[in-house]
Amino acid sequence: MTDVTPTISIDARGISCPGPLTNLIKAYRKAKNGDVIEVLATDPGFKSDVKAWVERTGNELISLTEEGGVIRALIKVTAR
Amino acid sequence: MEKRVLILGGGDGGTILANRLARRLGPDELSIEVIDKEGTHWYQPGFLFSAVGEAEREEISLCRVALYKENVKFTQAEVTKIDLDDRKVSLKDGSERSYDYLVIATGSTLYYDDIPGFKGGADHFWSFGASMRLRKKLMSIKSGRVLVGVGGLTYKCPVAPLEMVFLADELFRRRGVRDSIELVYLSPMGRAYGPHLLNKLVEEEMAKRGIELVTYFTVDEIDGKNRKVMSAEGDSLDYDILILSPPHRGSEVIINSGIGDDEGWVPVDKHFLTVKGYDDAFAIGDATALPIPKTGVVAHFQAATLANNIAADIRGGIKETFDGQSFCLIEMGESRASAQVSNYRYNIPPGLIPNWLFHAMKMAFTKMYWKYILTGLM
Repeated sequence: MTDVTPTISIDARGISCPGPLTNLIKAYRKAKNGDVIEVLATDPGFKSDVKAWVERTGNELISLTEEGGVIRALIKVTAR
Repeated sequence: MEKRVLILGGGDGGTILANRLARRLGPDELSIEVIDKEGTHWYQPGFLFSAVGEAEREEISLCRVALYKENVKFTQAEVTKIDLDDRKVSLKDGSERSYDYLVIATGSTLYYDDIPGFKGGADHFWSFGASMRLRKKLMSIKSGRVLVGVGGLTYKCPVAPLEMVFLADELFRRRGVRDSIELVYLSPMGRAYGPHLLNKLVEEEMAKRGIELVTYFTVDEIDGKNRKVMSAEGDSLDYDILILSPPHRGSEVIINSGIGDDEGWVPVDKHFLTVKGYDDAFAIGDATALPIPKTGVVAHFQAATLANNIAADIRGGIKETFDGQSFCLIEMGESRASAQVSNYRYNIPPGLIPNWLFHAMKMAFTKMYWKYILTGLM
């Protein structure tokens, strides 16, 4: 599942809380069901923020990984 | 031979920069021109207080020509095009300006269309006119539901909606109507405010004051006729007054000149503030695409760094770097305020307990602003 190609990419590396989540929400407002949003972030708080956001909004978290200090979240938009 | 700096925008960043340069360099070294289409300068944090009846126009505005040192030329005109390759700026009257150094301090503009129904459906306090319209409503409402929160996700002064909900609570109590008004705060994330320690204080204060918190409510559309606001998460709320941060974008000239990102913010080097790809053009304040708060304090610190660096370029000297510093006093009503300070490296602000001293600093700053900050003394 992690090789899904994103349709929207957000580079929020170096941006502190709540910047990465805000950028995700901004993209979500313009997204449609079926879109896959990729967020790259370095703020450690983003992991728990994105998990809570996906759970609350009813979208799908395809994957949440971390490599070399970079968190990568892949979210499938299903609740728009 | 003298150099020429052209500063586009006479807001906090542009004005502080011009006056700092004028203090450091003589007219034989640098000619300084500030161009802005507006003739009035506003102390924008004052809009929060004017909305709740605690500041009047004459306390928070001044004619722009009165703000500048004598060797700064202020031109009231609209800039229509910026050509960074030809080092040329065009004005609406057809004239052009060339430069040795260009500083883009064009700020941000309100872009209501980003939220359908915002105009006519929501109130805000990001301009004096809007704050006075809001004041009338806040002063006359006797009962109902008042929603305050984040509307546009990019906006000036991240804590302003929080400050408003606390000041509205205080105003309604003073007016004796608080018991019949449901006061609600809307946040697009899972808590009221991003930084966790500060958020803890804010949420405790909201609970204490009976302010309801609605999370994961991203304002998507407003039906002003039926007074209903819809979220991207699929929820909706009725309201009697809806107070939201309006969506912001970069200045129109940035978009028209093709030098910004898709929202019109100018990409710059985070330390030297040079526009990406150029060494003679800079951007400061709200105009930049830097992921830091859009506040007057940031514009002030950036202007100080850039004034030093332009002076160092002309006279020789050590250049400074901007470290992302931001400082914010957060008004929480009842004559108390908290504070937040951060920079690029230290970006987890502490939760400073609201107290009278920070409130006094915020009030004193209004006086210092005109005399010491804008004039380039501090």
